[in-house]
Amino acid sequence: MIAQIAMATGFALILIGLYGALTNHNLLRMIVAFTIADTGVNIVIVAVGYMAGRTAPILDAAVPAAEAAQRIIDPVPQALVLTAIVIGLGITALMLAYAYKLYQKKRTLDIGKLTELKW
Amino acid sequence: MVSAIFILAAALAAAFLLGLLKDEQRGVAYAITLLALAFMTWISADWTWAFAMDGAASVDIFTAGTEPPFAINLRVGLAEAVLTLIISLTALLSALAMKDALLALGRRAMAVLLVATLAFCGIVLTRDIFNLFVFFELAAISTGGLILLSDDERALAAGFKYLIVSQVISILLLIGIIFAYHATGTLNIDGMADAAQSILPGSRQAFMLAFFLMFMALVAELKPFPANGWALDIYESAHPAYSAIFSAAGGAAALYAVDKLLLVGGTAWLPAATGIGVVTFVGANLLALPQTNDRRLLGYSSVAQIGLILTVLGQRDVLGDLTGFVALGLLLAHSVAKAGLYWLSSLVAGRELSAWAALRGHPLMIFAFATFLCLLVGLPPFPGFYAKWELARVLAAEGRIALLALILFGALIEATYLFRWFGYTIKRDKPAEDIACASGNVIAICVAAVTGWVLGYLWGDAANVMLGRGNLLLALPLLFALAFLLLEWLPAWTKNMLAIAGLVGYFALTWGDYDPLRLIFFVIFLIGGAVILLASFHAHGRRVGFYPAAMLMYAGMTMLIEATDTFGFFAAWEILTVGSYFLILRGKHSEPHALSYLVFSLGGAFLILAGFALAASGAPLGVSPRLTFALSELAQVAQPLAPWVFLLLAIGFMTKTAAIGLHIWLPGAHAEAETDVSPMVSGILLKAGLFGLFILLMSMGKQQLYGIELTYVMLWIGAITALLGNLMAIFQEDAKRLLAYSSIGQMGYALFGLALMNHLGWLMALMFVINHYIYKSMLFLSVGGVAKRTGTRAMYQMGGLIALMPLSFIAVLIGIIAMSGVPPLSGFGGRWIFYNAILESEYRLPMVVIFLSGPIAFLYLFRLIHTIFLGQLKDEHRKLKEAPFWIVLPQMIYVVLLLAFAVVPGIALRRVDEYMNQFFPTGGLNWSGLNISSPYGYWDPIAIMIIVGCIFMTLFLWLLFVNRKAQKVKQFNIVFAAERPYRPETTHFAWNFFAPYRKALGFLVQPFVTQFWGAITDTLHTGADIARRFYTGNGQTYAIHLLGFVVAVYLFARGI
Repeated sequence: MIAQIAMATGFALILIGLYGALTNHNLLRMIVAFTIADTGVNIVIVAVGYMAGRTAPILDAAVPAAEAAQRIIDPVPQALVLTAIVIGLGITALMLAYAYKLYQKKRTLDIGKLTELKW
Repeated sequence: MVSAIFILAAALAAAFLLGLLKDEQRGVAYAITLLALAFMTWISADWTWAFAMDGAASVDIFTAGTEPPFAINLRVGLAEAVLTLIISLTALLSALAMKDALLALGRRAMAVLLVATLAFCGIVLTRDIFNLFVFFELAAISTGGLILLSDDERALAAGFKYLIVSQVISILLLIGIIFAYHATGTLNIDGMADAAQSILPGSRQAFMLAFFLMFMALVAELKPFPANGWALDIYESAHPAYSAIFSAAGGAAALYAVDKLLLVGGTAWLPAATGIGVVTFVGANLLALPQTNDRRLLGYSSVAQIGLILTVLGQRDVLGDLTGFVALGLLLAHSVAKAGLYWLSSLVAGRELSAWAALRGHPLMIFAFATFLCLLVGLPPFPGFYAKWELARVLAAEGRIALLALILFGALIEATYLFRWFGYTIKRDKPAEDIACASGNVIAICVAAVTGWVLGYLWGDAANVMLGRGNLLLALPLLFALAFLLLEWLPAWTKNMLAIAGLVGYFALTWGDYDPLRLIFFVIFLIGGAVILLASFHAHGRRVGFYPAAMLMYAGMTMLIEATDTFGFFAAWEILTVGSYFLILRGKHSEPHALSYLVFSLGGAFLILAGFALAASGAPLGVSPRLTFALSELAQVAQPLAPWVFLLLAIGFMTKTAAIGLHIWLPGAHAEAETDVSPMVSGILLKAGLFGLFILLMSMGKQQLYGIELTYVMLWIGAITALLGNLMAIFQEDAKRLLAYSSIGQMGYALFGLALMNHLGWLMALMFVINHYIYKSMLFLSVGGVAKRTGTRAMYQMGGLIALMPLSFIAVLIGIIAMSGVPPLSGFGGRWIFYNAILESEYRLPMVVIFLSGPIAFLYLFRLIHTIFLGQLKDEHRKLKEAPFWIVLPQMIYVVLLLAFAVVPGIALRRVDEYMNQFFPTGGLNWSGLNISSPYGYWDPIAIMIIVGCIFMTLFLWLLFVNRKAQKVKQFNIVFAAERPYRPETTHFAWNFFAPYRKALGFLVQPFVTQFWGAITDTLHTGADIARRFYTGNGQTYAIHLLGFVVAVYLFARGI
């Protein structure tokens, strides 16, 4: 049940994010919208790895290695999410830097005004 | 061997090392960057060598010491090694090319460059799907950084648009990955492919959807048309050296990623790849047509090429083992050429295409430019050519004709805009600003050009080993032609001697190998070529570019005669087309004409390619090994394919002979060419088309399509071509254009003779081959000589040159007597055989048409003598001298030849007549002594010569006798009483000489055909110009395009 809710939330966030990114003309709002979508993706990934009734994939006294396969959830999606978060951070930082530079040069944050290159 | 993981490690280590340096130590940082890239290149090259030469097996690298799926593994095999080589080499050369930008921005920019290279190599090497995602993101981030190396402020916006799209892509990819992982339990690509086989039907649909998302994400990295506006903006605005990486390395990496992913999806996804690929190829090429910015044009071309390779990957099911050969051939050709072109573009200051004229005066750069264009278009001897051939062969064999047609159409458009650009470069005004010859750039360009040729050799070698095709770069004629590239520093006369010696020497060595028919063409191509080359002694200086082009054309024609299988024939055909294009382009005003020549010729060549491919597909089993297809096997092509093969080949060959409807390139191309080039392309090159038709008719004979006799259609085409060609010729004011139109008419005669499909018809066609070579070469030379002296080609501006240029006069006189077919010269022999042939055939109506065109020929031929040599001498021409010696000499040789051929036609024709008995046992001529007879009469050349000579002498003496007291009237014996007219030519009697005929028959020579082709090109251009407005420049719109594209493909795939 939790997994389904998480999954639905994730997809909802992705759609909200994409909608926001494709309808807002302000660069900063677009970037924010993309981070929302990214969060949605991360939630979906985690939800896919979730297994009801199991514990975190940390091998210590509570979960000995021998029983781990039966007791922990799938650790791979969690590892993926970590990587995805880092990469998302990188891209977001780069986009923000771009937005800053663009504002410096053009004095505008409107995506619709950055169209000298076309056709 | 150094482990391939050091390709990644070296880049990473160097990037970290750069971080330790001080910001001022830019030289050191640059050295470290170059060293790291060189090291990566070396490792890749080492592996490539090991796989290609020593046949090593591919190696897996387990990064965490455990096997997948518990750790990421990398794999290096031949494909990976080649791709990492191309990526790191491109990066190394680009680092050289953008030295200034890198030094200006410092170590951070260099570190980003290293990371970008690492990312592209990683995409190639990794076998883990999530790792693939990570490398793609790295590539996106570093691309976002490197775009800023550009001086162009617009690059900022382009970079942001790119980041928007890559966000969308990464969302698609991540969701796809996680669900694919959920369904298969592994992130390893090979493991996923295995697991995908055994997925339960219940979760199959979910897995397919996950795969679809991953597939679309990776396909989006290929910049598919039309969801690629962002990429075009990058291509246009980024630093060209980075665009080189983006196109060559990025394209290669993304393609390989898609290729790996297709392993997971299986064959069910191949049609999707094909569809997206071919739409991209055709669409991007179409939209490239109206581009005026060089870098954006290259961007469109990059997109198109990647699309083509994606198509090839999608044809994996039928290409089988050949997939690698074809796809890698196209990919490497694309990478080398596109990187080279981008590096070249950074030498040129202006961004419009004609600004590339600045390259003129730098032969090495022009050579590199031509090399890159030929690489891209897939002309021999480059890898793309072999790839194109195999692709066409396999597609035709599998019945995928529509796909083949689309590919060839796209390729033709690409060739059009690329060679149009080359024409601008060679012919447009040179901009004031010379090119910026930075050493790093020049090194990069030269390495790329050399690599292109090496690849040509390697692919030829592979084709030779795997498929039993000859390596074109080992063909002696081609090597001889290419050797002239190295001899460009010699003076023209030395090169001319070498060229003549080469032609004659090669003839002497090999002439014994051929049957009489081929021998006649061989003589015309080589010995005939040598005679025309005598006229080239007239040229001074070094004449850079002439000899490689001319010898390329002769090499192509030689190989055409030598060819025994369809591959060799087609390769020769393309070689002679390219050579003659470069040759024609040399004329002063020939830019548009050379282009239209090339487009028609390549269009024709593609039809021939399709025809050959189709023929091979229809060969009955056991008759031929599928790989090679001998020309003689065309005879065994079965119904219902045979008439289609015939149709394609016939139209292909008829583009070269300029049959009506396909003739519009000829007048300009022949008339605007240089003085000694016009006879080459008219007297000799046109015969290549006739040779093709001979080969075609000899093997395939009569064919019926839907009950229509195709040779009968050809007969009509020949007749109408003869009529209209001659009609158009009579209305010309320009002497060389007149001769060019006359060639159209003459080729119509030859086509007619061939299409008669009887013994004498063919003999007559062959007679035309010989005659037309002699008199058209002679006339073009004499008219060219006159034009050289008078400085004009308009006939009404000449007159009375008989006394000043007597030798040219004699040549023209003899030439037109021969051409018009009156006794006693060889033209009469041609007519005689012709009438005999007609009497034998049952076709009456086309016969009437062809009879009509005979007298029309008199009308224009007469003008050559009448307007140029007779009448009043123009005042400004009073001090003219005879044409230069070297231009007159070949004409005199032709005069002797014509007379000799008129007296003893048997030397050439007798053996051919016997040879033709195998095709048409009846209807041959009877050769007894010097007397030739047919069922309808006889022809005694010597008697005719004597009789006509006697009549001529009698009349001539009579004329001298009655005129002995006549007074010479000079021009100013009469009085001019009028003012000087506003347009002097309108009062000249020779201007619009046949105005009454024009009134009566002008409707026949309305430029309908020109209008027709013009309308097609206009429609394509306008359509493309409207369609490209789809790329609004708005980053959000581009993201919507991408999502729309994904949805469209989904619906399409569902529908199928």
